[in-house]
Amino acid sequence: MSNHPLLEVKDLTTSFFTSRGEVQAVRGVSFDVSPGEIVGIVGESGSGKSITCMSILRLLKSNGRVVAGQAHFEGQDLLKLAEHDMRKLRGDDIAMIFQDPMTSLNPTLTVGEQIIETIIAHRGSSRKAARQRAIELFELVKIPEAASRLNSYPHEFSGGMRQRVMIAIALCCDPKLLIADEPTTALDVTIQRQILLLLKEIQARLGMAIILITHDLGVIAEVADRILVMYGGMVMETGSVDTVFARPNHPYTQGLLTSVPKLRTAHKERLRPIPGSPPDMLRPPVGCPFAPRCLRAMQICVGEVPPIFEMGDQQTHKAKCWLHHPDAPTNDEGAA
Amino acid sequence: MSKTPLVELLDLKKHFKVSSGLFGRNAKYLRAVDGVDLTINRGETLGLVGESGCGKSTLARTLIRLYEPTSGQMKFDGEDIAALDQKSLMPFRKRMQMIFQDPYASLNGRMTVHDLIAEPLEIANIGDTQSRTARVHELLEIVGLNKDHAMRFAHEFSGGQRQRIGIARAIALNPELVICDEPISALDVSIQAQVVNMLEDLQRDLGLTYLFITHDLSMVRHISDRIGVMYLGKIVELADNDELYENPKHPYTRALLSSIPIADPVEARKRKIEEMQGEIPSPIDMPSGCRFRTRCPLATELCATNEPKLKELTDGHLAACHYAEP
Repeated sequence: MSNHPLLEVKDLTTSFFTSRGEVQAVRGVSFDVSPGEIVGIVGESGSGKSITCMSILRLLKSNGRVVAGQAHFEGQDLLKLAEHDMRKLRGDDIAMIFQDPMTSLNPTLTVGEQIIETIIAHRGSSRKAARQRAIELFELVKIPEAASRLNSYPHEFSGGMRQRVMIAIALCCDPKLLIADEPTTALDVTIQRQILLLLKEIQARLGMAIILITHDLGVIAEVADRILVMYGGMVMETGSVDTVFARPNHPYTQGLLTSVPKLRTAHKERLRPIPGSPPDMLRPPVGCPFAPRCLRAMQICVGEVPPIFEMGDQQTHKAKCWLHHPDAPTNDEGAA
Repeated sequence: MSKTPLVELLDLKKHFKVSSGLFGRNAKYLRAVDGVDLTINRGETLGLVGESGCGKSTLARTLIRLYEPTSGQMKFDGEDIAALDQKSLMPFRKRMQMIFQDPYASLNGRMTVHDLIAEPLEIANIGDTQSRTARVHELLEIVGLNKDHAMRFAHEFSGGQRQRIGIARAIALNPELVICDEPISALDVSIQAQVVNMLEDLQRDLGLTYLFITHDLSMVRHISDRIGVMYLGKIVELADNDELYENPKHPYTRALLSSIPIADPVEARKRKIEEMQGEIPSPIDMPSGCRFRTRCPLATELCATNEPKLKELTDGHLAACHYAEP
């Protein structure tokens, strides 16, 4: 891994301007992705995890706008790129896959036509070469009888197979970064396992970086190297998966982990949910977005957004929480 | 806990006709539920898990007669309700209720919360307007909302609150059996735990029996007393919850359990991964013999010709596999 990050996002701020007012979906998000790294972004609906990536890709709906921030990909700011260059970059260097492959595929064309068309458009190869490449890609994502399945239509595939087709199309141009937005959410657990293993295997073989967006902590724990926990449009905690799962240092991360049953412990242990519900991003709380639901909220949390504190146990482990201010009351439970 | 059966299913089948063929000669059937024997005891939570298309939701809907069963018996408190006409069924309808997956789709957007919750009371002809309103307010309290919410519409609530409204509706008639069909799948993680805790409290306070259908394998262990695993219309394994997770006998259960993502990177790496090959076959053209054999690592000649029966291996632990050992 080189020292230069592949993607460097700084203070990204995105809003949607609706008839009801400004929805502040992303509020000052910063993170890096190194070449060959798998970064997992976890958060609940409305946390801003998908919008962060859509902002970077410049695929926001027409009422959405990046208000501030930068997103440097190999040195150039994606947010300042001409639309023409951005178009070329999407698909060439950055590829993406989404939750529901059925809505991303054209139902009236065979999957072969769709993948061959993509290869020709981006690579300028001949039809014959493109077909050959398509077969290779189908074999790479383990679609059985690759050559003949090229002539099938999307509806003839199962959900898992369709997601494989989407991954194959995403890999057409050997992207350096793959953004996967809830790629396994619509799939059954055994198929989810197959797709996650496939993503890991492909990542190891081709060495690209992956941003994996999901609401499932388990998926992150299994696949990612590093984790970003998002809430209310902000990054609450970040670090290597090992560190964050072993020593969560933000009350929100801690709450998420106690909300899901532990598979190995006695089942009748009562769950400890996070009280309340997520903030309305039309009127986000003035201070820490999590403060209204936080059991350890202090006076300052309500009034002021906390800065990012380094945890000290590991360089990349950071949490956005006032409890880590040197003057904050110490609490053994939180440090555990 | 004494075990008195509340629900007993005997060889229950629900087949859907998908094409009739020329002059009805080559009729094809989708065998969604294909011979299920199952007992739900009073006061317990029976979890039912399986992948999409395994027939778990069809089973639930057949049980409350939203679908007409094709054959078999469905005993509720001793009486076979599979063959009852609509009129004789009415008293039983009150005693079993359902909570649905999607709290956005299952509540009428044009009705106030009050009307939504009072509706079952009206249909069952219970009380007058005043006493119904009192009951609605009481129910709102029970599910953690309050009477100020009564005059609002469902769209003004978050997903978790809507699911609470759905639950209030389901318990309005003091049912004995509540069928929860993926009640938390559409909710955020932090809200799921709130709803699960509430369901547990309600069970304790009201003595409810739950049939809990889900594909979330970690939550089902938490909430259930016993768990049944379904595959292509049949129950392939049934056991007490801890027994099932610690000692799975059927190769499908083993594959399913080893697929659960664990929210612990160290555990996750240690775990032996049993990746299951292939995908669930079509319930219209089922494999001969054992339904799971096309994906099973243990499958032999025997599995292609003989369908294994669900048999008891150890006390209360049943599995349908030729090679399952006690």
